[in-house]
Amino acid sequence: MSWKLGRRRRAVRPDDAVPAFTPPGRWRRRLEATVRLIAALTIVGGLYAALAPGVSQAEDTPPLSADAVQGKQLYETTCISCHGPNAQGVENRGPSLIGAGSAAVEFQVGTGRMPMARQEAQAQKKPPHYSWEQAAQIGAYIQELGGGPTLPKGQKLRATDEKAISRGGELYRINCSACHGFGLGGGALSSGKYAPSLNDASDREIYAAMLTGPQNMPVFGDAQLTPEEKLAVIGYIQSLKANKDPGGFGMKRFGPVSEGLMIFLVGMVALVFATLWIAGKS
Amino acid sequence: MSGADTQVRHGNDEAVDVSDPRLSRFDLVREGARRDGVEIVHYAPRFPVPGTKAEKRVERTIALFFMLTGLFATAFVVIFVAWHWEWHPGNNAGSWFTPLLGVSLALMLFCVGAAIIVFAKKLLPEEVAVQERHDGASPRDEQVLTGATLLNMADEAGLGRRPLLKGAIALGLAPVAAVPLVALGGMIDDPHDEDMYHKTGFDPEANGGNKVRLMRENLTPVRPEEISAGGQITVFPAIPHGATNQHADSPTLLIHLRQTDADELRRNLGHVPINEGDMYGNYVAYSKICTHAGCPASLYEQQTNRLLCPCHQSQFSITDNARPVFGPATRRLPMLPLEVDSEGFFVAKSDFEVPIGPGFWERA
Repeated sequence: MSWKLGRRRRAVRPDDAVPAFTPPGRWRRRLEATVRLIAALTIVGGLYAALAPGVSQAEDTPPLSADAVQGKQLYETTCISCHGPNAQGVENRGPSLIGAGSAAVEFQVGTGRMPMARQEAQAQKKPPHYSWEQAAQIGAYIQELGGGPTLPKGQKLRATDEKAISRGGELYRINCSACHGFGLGGGALSSGKYAPSLNDASDREIYAAMLTGPQNMPVFGDAQLTPEEKLAVIGYIQSLKANKDPGGFGMKRFGPVSEGLMIFLVGMVALVFATLWIAGKS
Repeated sequence: MSGADTQVRHGNDEAVDVSDPRLSRFDLVREGARRDGVEIVHYAPRFPVPGTKAEKRVERTIALFFMLTGLFATAFVVIFVAWHWEWHPGNNAGSWFTPLLGVSLALMLFCVGAAIIVFAKKLLPEEVAVQERHDGASPRDEQVLTGATLLNMADEAGLGRRPLLKGAIALGLAPVAAVPLVALGGMIDDPHDEDMYHKTGFDPEANGGNKVRLMRENLTPVRPEEISAGGQITVFPAIPHGATNQHADSPTLLIHLRQTDADELRRNLGHVPINEGDMYGNYVAYSKICTHAGCPASLYEQQTNRLLCPCHQSQFSITDNARPVFGPATRRLPMLPLEVDSEGFFVAKSDFEVPIGPGFWERA
């Protein structure tokens, strides 16, 4: 490099008649490069400084949809005391809802589990504080805040053809029956927790519960149980409810052993007292 | 007890000559009862004047019950033959088949019982009878006589002096005893059978040396991304009949733990050296067979990270190598070593490294 530069300098020096073509000197070129660099940095830095605050302001206040605005108001009157501003959660009170999705909010609020009456082993189903529409509005707010699973549209989320219901039965028995029981009655878990009865659960509630895994229920994401399989499971559950027990009084479908025991105990006692009564009339 | 004997024992009354033509039929009944040791002390018709209104009313009541019996019996037959009996989903005529049979049968039995009871208590004559009971032990004479009879039977068979017959009976009847023995004995498994107790369907040896894939109940293999975080899935060995009772010891719970829970389990893996390296990412697989009594311990609590067994409420801590934390189980659920094959499906690195299911006597 230095050899080339040196040679050119020597070649130019004797001919001063064409100054326009005089290459800039070594030091001058270095100076120019430095100035250009500083100028570029200043412009970029200045642009960034000018634009960056505007960008961060835009992130803080995304344009919420009309539903989400309603939901935000509801959120800030109730949910905020445990889940905190911007749904980031409050230590030892309520978890963050970022990523919970509207499906989880609709389930928890729509079934009355949230807002909780008190901190206890498990949020219980109770008469809902908000209607399902209001729950959906809060859900829209949480959804636009942090994303997450959402429910499909429509109230009737169930398969109705017998083949799908039969497949739903297989899926129910292998995935659900351990906790919710063969007859949908639910059952006990550890330390005061329990799997609730499915007898008064709607299609939408069951769908949301499978999708989000509320409380201690495992999550059944769409890759694990496809939407069609979820509809099949719901179809099975709802058809089980619609079916009358063919043997008469089914005792909440606790099964043949409990039925036999009941027939034996109640039947025997009734027969003994009937016998005593007949003998006593003599 | 013979009549003569009774007469001897209760011989304080004068004997009645049954061929005496002056005796009425009821006198004979009373004498018959007396000879059996039963004394009729009070006997009177319910309605001394026949054909009163009260008597007619009782008659009508009884008749009504018998008619109802016939009606319900007929109803049972008609329902059994004509009612739509097949089961269909929903609440329809078929769902009422069994209840209707039960109700008609119950009403029929109730009516026939009521008819008989009302008949006996309202229409038959009032009667009070006394029966004497004999003392506990038989008289000495009867004991001697019975003993002699039994010994005489043995003498008649004469087995003592007929050795051929004695041997033939012994040889002929011994195999008869073997019939129930083999029938029941076949149900007892050899507790030292290595295959039975130490191998499950995930054993690569039974799969031609290839590692066994994990599959769902519908025989499809499982990819890691298909299980949601905080989700679980029941898997079976992907071999022929892997999801049937032929491999009833193989059902396994594959769990996708959340990040913090998986980190906790990874820290704890060292508590059970044999489990080290058995997790795949945040995935862990435990045998579904409870170590207490073999029920499916598959109630998965995804927040408290416990596995529950519904039979006796044993609880296992998922984040500590399935350590039993509550209930009667005393042994951890065995962990299945996991990895993913070249096509991206879960496989078992090897079989379970400790026997699955309830403890047995060779094991501490």
